[in-house]
Amino acid sequence: MSALIIFGLLIVLMLTGMPISISLGLTVLTFLFTMTEVPIDTVALKLFTGIEKFEIMAIPFFILAGNFLTHGGVAKRMINFATSMVGHWHGGLGLAGVIACALFAAVSGSSPATVVAIGSVILPAMVAQGFPKQFGAGVITTSGALGILIPPSIVMVMYAVATSGMQVQGPDGNIVDSASVGELFMAGVVPGLMLAGFLAFTTWYRARKFGYPRLAKANLLGRWKAFREAMWGLLLIVVVIGGIYSGIFTPTEAAAMSAVYAFIVAVFVYKDLRLSDVPRILLQSANMSAMLLYIITNAVLFSFLLAHENIPQALGQWMVDAGLNWWVFLIIVNLLLLAAGNFMEPSSIVLIMAPILFPVAVRLGIDPVHFGIMIVVNMEVGMCHPPVGLNLYVASGITKMGITELTVAVWPWLLTMLMFLLLVTYVPWISLALPHALGM
Amino acid sequence: MLRLLDRLEEVLIATLIAAATLIIFASVAHRYTLGLLADSVAWFRTHEMAGLSAAAKSAYFGVRWINLVWAQELTIILFVWMAKFGAAYGVRTGIHVGIDVLINRMDPPKRRFFILLGLGAGALFTGIIATLGSSFVYHMAQGSAISPDLGLPMWLVYMAIPLGSSLMCFRFLQVAYGFWHTGELPHHDHGHVDGLDTENGVEDAILHSDLSPRDMTDQAKDK
Repeated sequence: MSALIIFGLLIVLMLTGMPISISLGLTVLTFLFTMTEVPIDTVALKLFTGIEKFEIMAIPFFILAGNFLTHGGVAKRMINFATSMVGHWHGGLGLAGVIACALFAAVSGSSPATVVAIGSVILPAMVAQGFPKQFGAGVITTSGALGILIPPSIVMVMYAVATSGMQVQGPDGNIVDSASVGELFMAGVVPGLMLAGFLAFTTWYRARKFGYPRLAKANLLGRWKAFREAMWGLLLIVVVIGGIYSGIFTPTEAAAMSAVYAFIVAVFVYKDLRLSDVPRILLQSANMSAMLLYIITNAVLFSFLLAHENIPQALGQWMVDAGLNWWVFLIIVNLLLLAAGNFMEPSSIVLIMAPILFPVAVRLGIDPVHFGIMIVVNMEVGMCHPPVGLNLYVASGITKMGITELTVAVWPWLLTMLMFLLLVTYVPWISLALPHALGM
Repeated sequence: MLRLLDRLEEVLIATLIAAATLIIFASVAHRYTLGLLADSVAWFRTHEMAGLSAAAKSAYFGVRWINLVWAQELTIILFVWMAKFGAAYGVRTGIHVGIDVLINRMDPPKRRFFILLGLGAGALFTGIIATLGSSFVYHMAQGSAISPDLGLPMWLVYMAIPLGSSLMCFRFLQVAYGFWHTGELPHHDHGHVDGLDTENGVEDAILHSDLSPRDMTDQAKDK
């Protein structure tokens, strides 16, 4: 009963268009005030303690690192590198677009910024070469979403934060640990590369079928030059993954290191930014991080309320009693998340849904890391279709195509993504192989 | 006066995020310098270079004298302050997103009502939090709780809640006031990238989508 009231209230408040963080907070206040005896003062305390965890601080650092490297110059280097490597195959520039998007998205951490940065350079070039506009738009819109799967990924940190410290029991009654940021990052590598491969394959296949132009093969010297240029940006991924894996840094320290590294590369190596640009980048990053941290604090309040009302446990018990299989549950979760993807952006969905779904998933014997990766892949799909697929709107801005036309243009790649989602959902090995091989 | 507040807010949050990054960087560098020096003391000793060993040893104690255990706690405090004031700044820049699918399909008078309702709800929530936070901090100031590593009085640390929330409440009212008079809302450009040669219509495309609330400035789209 209280579950119905809480979610009813939340949905009504959210549909009025008020910020998601405010709807979460007001739901909690209203419910605590009218229905329970919980002292309201605890709310104020929770608002502070909600974000005073060291892992959460990885988010602002990663945003800062990404913003230093979110620059047209970095995008051009990634494109040159990708073009010199795969430009001579079927699909030429399109194929290079997939690779460049994957690289740039991993470094910048922002899907829409990737679509803008890579798209505004590569799309005009593709059209000039004789590719149809729709083809390029489809490639860039979907490949831009790869960023949240390839580490460092802010959505993965969100998932780790939303589920950390939960005491949940597996099917055998033992307590199961929630997934750590490090595990999730490692787990994201294989699916990230695979999905990039899948999207590249679709691009290659369609380009071959329709006979789209290819580029001349780059010579070894050209490739080396392009690699050396792109290398500094790509090393950011190495600093983060290598640092965390080798145990040199905690994820938060790795994030801070990558921010300092990105600053040095952007200002002194690439010289894309002047020192006088730095305060502006700092302010932008602080603005974005504060918004996310504000949603986190309110989501922590919200999950405190849910836990106080025993809702996740009750839901889990109900599903177990109903004799629900793990695979039926995963279908339901995927449909639910895809539906949520029609209204909200990934961080909010993860913060609201993960604390509710996670205990049930663990109860049904699903690995926390696998579950997290599945959610992230699901979020990628949501960014590429209407009504609120951010990538789609950004792409429509660059290509001057209408949303309906773009939605049609995107479908071969979107279908590829959905198939990959199915694969990740039912083959846990894809997500778990690397972290297990590394002994995590 | 207001301009001064705006500027102060911007400088504060940019400084906080920069300071936090540098502190973590310094503490990691510090930890590894210590490890490196300790290793070199041992290495020089096994290779019988007493002079160098002694030099490394004194460097080790010199570096260890700089105590950075408080770094993590300070970073968290800086970030919480950054988060609270940054959230207020975010109201002014329109970065706090909501679900606009429904209200964007309403006719202008209804939409106007719901946008004002949303801003009012924001002001209400942050106002309540500011009040709760103040009484919480007030009670805390009566006690003598201090933070574990830095020894700062806890009420000072927690001041971020009432101060940040009050500012945020003020920002919501400010945006609502502006909207009431001009029909304009601040919009955040999600797809902004520096250093691109070509002009693109990204900002426009997002502005006219369900990703941002439609304000009253362009009636043409309502047709």
